[in-house]
Amino acid sequence: MTRLFRAEILKVLTTRLLLWLGLLVIAFEVLVIALHVGHDSLDSLASEGNQRDAVSIAAVSVLISLILGIVASAGEYTHGTINHTLLVAPVRERVAAAKLAAAALAGAFLALVSFAFAWTLATLLLSARSVPLHLFTQATLRLMLGTVLAAALAGALGVGFGLLLRRQTAAIVVALVWLLVGEPLLAIAGAERYGPGHAIASVVEAGRQGSDLLGFGGGLAVALLYAVVAGTVGTIAMKRSDVN
Amino acid sequence: MPELPPVEVRGLTKRYGTTTAVDGLSFTIRRGAITGFLGPNGAGKSTTLRALLGLVRPTAGEARVDGVPYAKLDDPLRTVGAVLESESFHPGRSGRNHLRILAAAAGLPVERVDDVLATVELTDAGRRRVGGYSLGMRQRLSVAGALLGQPRLLVLDEPANGLDPEGIRWLRDFLRSFATDGGTVLISSHVLAEVAQIAEEVVIIHRGRLVAQEPLEALTARSAGGAAVVRSPEAARLRDALARAGLEAGPVGDDGLRVAGPAERVGEVAAAEGIVLLELRTEGASLEEVFLELTAGGPA
Repeated sequence: MTRLFRAEILKVLTTRLLLWLGLLVIAFEVLVIALHVGHDSLDSLASEGNQRDAVSIAAVSVLISLILGIVASAGEYTHGTINHTLLVAPVRERVAAAKLAAAALAGAFLALVSFAFAWTLATLLLSARSVPLHLFTQATLRLMLGTVLAAALAGALGVGFGLLLRRQTAAIVVALVWLLVGEPLLAIAGAERYGPGHAIASVVEAGRQGSDLLGFGGGLAVALLYAVVAGTVGTIAMKRSDVN
Repeated sequence: MPELPPVEVRGLTKRYGTTTAVDGLSFTIRRGAITGFLGPNGAGKSTTLRALLGLVRPTAGEARVDGVPYAKLDDPLRTVGAVLESESFHPGRSGRNHLRILAAAAGLPVERVDDVLATVELTDAGRRRVGGYSLGMRQRLSVAGALLGQPRLLVLDEPANGLDPEGIRWLRDFLRSFATDGGTVLISSHVLAEVAQIAEEVVIIHRGRLVAQEPLEALTARSAGGAAVVRSPEAARLRDALARAGLEAGPVGDDGLRVAGPAERVGEVAAAEGIVLLELRTEGASLEEVFLELTAGGPA
């Protein structure tokens, strides 16, 4: 199992995907934080909540982790490398488990780097405007831990979903359409907070819930349930499918 | 206890919806031999090999490697090396990294990666991304992956597809060398002339069913009806002697005869009559001729 996990980590590290996704996140953070700090008034920037909001852009890494998880699983079918994977490790449950663990770790790593960059950039820009800093707080630490945990869950969720669909582009499109269109529609029934996107957002917010989010514990439980169900269903689909 | 065959297919059936790709196929291959696995396009060769390698779930029957299903092998990469048709690689990953991943998953030392890259003559290209490889280089990379675990059995599905003449020669020489060292090879191909040059035995399938399984020489001889070709400076006297022995013979060239009978019997008659022979051989059809004859209709 350790061997397969190492192999899955190597797969992530031996293409430029993680690098490009990381650069995409960082570019987005530079844009958003620079605009935020550059345009807000000094009074507004001095509030702890405002500074926390600036750093919370690092949560975009959670969405990127979802895509990373999809690519790690469905991408193998798209590129045909699943043949090689299953010839070395024909017990497919083990392969799926290794992928789930590797994508969760890669997602957490991406989120950690993303958060560290956002925090450093916000600290530098706020200091440049002589704004008193409130970025060394417990709330900021909770935001970081929530983002890392949510990204790990999103990575695993992406692997399960990718194994279910086994088509990389289709899986990414369906996931994005769900998050942008499908889940907001749940609001009609007042159930949007139980959707996977909202549940994961509850983990990110970690104690600073909006009205449409579950609490941290509830969000974590629901998000974990989605990740477990997606992983299980994806593994069953993988096990039953022929590789032609 | 008798030794288990390296590959055993028993009553294998695979259906995709209403299409039957493999229909009750059974055969075994001999350890230490190169066995050609032949059939027209769509005969079910790739499906059979994928079922053998655990990539396709049989509808019925089973396929075993060393007596067990592939998924139950303790160490698959050390037991079987496989090259599948139209191998795919991640275009953005280097050939060496592709092999490093396989080695890591199989628990093999990274030194093996450099060893097999050298074996397939890809050392210089190993650090380049596979997207820039030619088809021949990709096939060599596939072979390198198959050799990583130093297996004693190679399963190759149409490995010569797309290779240039140099690549085909390299592959042929490599497989001969592998077999000479005691390895077993099961190679599917529709390039029949290529298989004829290296295979000792052949398994022929058509429409998912077994048509023939024999040593290559026996198959070609059988197809020719057991005829013998003989040359002698006393062809006319030999012809009379053969007729007395009940063997019908017709002229071939100035000093040759084509005899409707086994070469051994012709030799015995000539020896008994004290007739000098310049040549005596079994007339064999080419593998292409045999193949076309056997697969012209439905399965036997």
